[in-house]
Amino acid sequence: MIQKHVQHLYNRLGFGILPKQLKELSKKSKEEIVDNLLDDSKKITPLEVDISELKAAFKNMIMMGNPDKDTRQKLQKISRQKQLDLNIAWVERLTNPTELLREKMTLFWANHFVCRDNNIVFIQNFNNTLRKHALGDFRNFVKAVSKEAAMTKYLNTKQNKKQKPNENFARELMELFTLGVGNYTENDIKESARAFTGYGHNFVGEFVFKQRQHDDGVKRFLGQSGNFKGDDIVDIILEQKQCAKYICEKIYAYFVNDVLNNHHISEMAEVFYKDYNIENLMRHIFMSDWFYNKEHIGSKIKSPIEFVVGIKTLVPIQFKNAKQQIYLQRLLGQTLLNPPNVAGWKGGKSWIDSNTIALRLKLPSLLLNSAYISKARKGELDVGIEKKKQFYKKNYGKRFNVVCDWEYFKKQFDEVEVNDLQSYVLACPISSNAKAYLNTLNKISKQEYCIQLMSLPEYQMC
Amino acid sequence: MDRRKFLKQSSLASSLFFVPSFVKAFEQVASSTLGYKRLVIIQLSGGNDGLNTVIPFENDLYYKERPSLSIAKSNVLKLTDEVGLHPSLEPLNRLYDKGLLTIINNVGYPNPNRSHFRSMDIWQTAVDANEYSQSGWIGRFLDYYGDAPYSAIEINENLSLAMKGETKNAIATQNAKSLYNLSRDPYFKSLQKHKNDAHLSEHNLGYLYKSMIEANSSAKYIYETSKTVNSQKEYPNNKFAKQLKTAAQFINSHLKTKVYYASLDGFDTHVNQLPVQNRLLKQYAEGIEAFVNDLKAGGTFNDTLILTFSEFGRRVKQNANIGTDHGTANNLFIIGNQLKKPGIYNKAANLSDLDANGDLKFEIDFRTVYATVLNKWLEVNDEKVLKKSFKQLSFI
Repeated sequence: MIQKHVQHLYNRLGFGILPKQLKELSKKSKEEIVDNLLDDSKKITPLEVDISELKAAFKNMIMMGNPDKDTRQKLQKISRQKQLDLNIAWVERLTNPTELLREKMTLFWANHFVCRDNNIVFIQNFNNTLRKHALGDFRNFVKAVSKEAAMTKYLNTKQNKKQKPNENFARELMELFTLGVGNYTENDIKESARAFTGYGHNFVGEFVFKQRQHDDGVKRFLGQSGNFKGDDIVDIILEQKQCAKYICEKIYAYFVNDVLNNHHISEMAEVFYKDYNIENLMRHIFMSDWFYNKEHIGSKIKSPIEFVVGIKTLVPIQFKNAKQQIYLQRLLGQTLLNPPNVAGWKGGKSWIDSNTIALRLKLPSLLLNSAYISKARKGELDVGIEKKKQFYKKNYGKRFNVVCDWEYFKKQFDEVEVNDLQSYVLACPISSNAKAYLNTLNKISKQEYCIQLMSLPEYQMC
Repeated sequence: MDRRKFLKQSSLASSLFFVPSFVKAFEQVASSTLGYKRLVIIQLSGGNDGLNTVIPFENDLYYKERPSLSIAKSNVLKLTDEVGLHPSLEPLNRLYDKGLLTIINNVGYPNPNRSHFRSMDIWQTAVDANEYSQSGWIGRFLDYYGDAPYSAIEINENLSLAMKGETKNAIATQNAKSLYNLSRDPYFKSLQKHKNDAHLSEHNLGYLYKSMIEANSSAKYIYETSKTVNSQKEYPNNKFAKQLKTAAQFINSHLKTKVYYASLDGFDTHVNQLPVQNRLLKQYAEGIEAFVNDLKAGGTFNDTLILTFSEFGRRVKQNANIGTDHGTANNLFIIGNQLKKPGIYNKAANLSDLDANGDLKFEIDFRTVYATVLNKWLEVNDEKVLKKSFKQLSFI
């Protein structure tokens, strides 16, 4: 497989690839590489922070009932702290994954089955449900999501009772999770909401079906009628080819190109509709010829998380103050576990506004190079560069307190000529203007040149 | 063509071509900033307890439902025979007395949501409670009527959803200088020098280049325009007042910005509400008064309208922790000196006709307030921005 294509594959199903691995993989065939990637992701490694204390307290509640105010406040405080821990653990996981594709898919699904909650036990369960089903059977996936405590809270399924149905989950199930707007009627929402009555959970987040709150009557839904339960509704939805198409559109926009190609999407939908197996669908995409078409390579704007994890993949970074990582996510417009609403982040161009573009362009130098970007002209040395860096760091570089491992970068790039760095750092071709400007500059070192490349708008593309 | 007409036309032409550019720039500022109307939005986050803000001091139900949380009649700053302000709102009371404040009661929306995140989301995106939007109402205003990112400024480090449109976004800044510094490394400047149009038209990459150039020029414009003005007014020493001071500096420097957005957080008063709300309302009112005085001194108050909202009010009945739980409808403040109906716009909420949760039933949809502000104040097509037609109110 040619190097450019391996790189493209890894940019999309991961967060970039380093020269040594790239060289190894380029010797292999596409089939071998894709098979390996899928094999590597067979395993499921749940993401867990230590919440044993909370779990024990919640278990206790099952027997003892609601605790007093002080205990409750104490638990809430721990829960908030653990949410931050989980966010950071997730970023860490994305940076050093063993199941690369599974992790990227989990990130994708988290912006598809969008959910947020303030109970860390529920959030962590939900996150691991995404991970567990990320490459599995979409049918089981939807059913599992519908029964997650965090979801029954978020979209009010737990308030959905026979006497007083709440349509929120039923509506979003169809509008956002499976069919897309306009592919069902208001009546379908009403009827399916009845099927999801009685959903609830216990203190530790396990699904509880409350028979007495469930509406056992006949429901008419998408042309069928019966005493449907929630799972039946999911089955009927999946019978609609539109569901396969809708999911394929989202996957295409995320992994291939945000300009949709209907021809490729119907091809994908044919594959997906057969068994709703996500792994098979992903294999089909990565094995296709069109995935590697020139117009897709380097055509997407990185999400904030892809951007930050991408930087960390190139040059490892440790934040001395973990909270700064979350602050950084907020500034860039994507705080993990904290989506704006159930529609999720729009992605693409909407990641970019004046604030985020200014920060994105400056961030590589801020994090990795004392806020300094060398402007030494060709044939000149960057005189007093260390002094300049000290000055820049003092004046601009104090926002983030990090330690970065350039030695790792140097080792990874030791066989790469400085002049070839661009093809490893940038996913898209460098624009003629940027090229012209870079040609006027001196490539002082791999590090300084790498920072220059990472400070280009081109580095924002994947 | 007669000679006179010719002379007139040619002198007009020459005046366009030969006037030094700084004079032209000056003229532009002079003519376009006169009557340049702007909106300031203040968000009270957490759900401010409206019933303890505008207090129905003659209503027995109010005192009955809030035995240890009500404001005693003697402490209320009375506005009418029926309602008055929380004692911390003395500065607001002064604005009221001068006819600069309209209080709109019982503002909400159908099928109210009691989650902070969701309800704030509904207020910011201005959609129905069963819809979700990835753009905010000010963002959509920018989509149609914005000239540049600085057409709307959020005094914050990053943008709220309210300020993000489908195709355009506002700009966020707490400090014009640090935003400018962030965007002005000579390295980026050089990249911009090399720009050409073919490059900018490229789909996503072109968009990034365009955004980079816009960010830099907006940051520069905000910084260089606003640094000429310094507030002479005293502001209280807190974060909220600092936001307002920055906004006043921007406004008084005649930035061509139509909308400013600021927020004050902490109103989620489930527990021991009284001291918390005292403090926050005091911060709010003192900040607003300093802000209004600053704008008056700068000659910009006439063209400024200030809208204050919170994502929901709170339950009528107090809870077991001398606090209140999430509620529904709430009051909303409009401040300015072009008010058609200063004072109390509509009757206070009916406390004997509550919904199943014991919450107020709303009377005025908040989007009718938005529609009115868009149409009558910002003078744009509100239907386009709100994607729906709403009734116009008569407060301006």
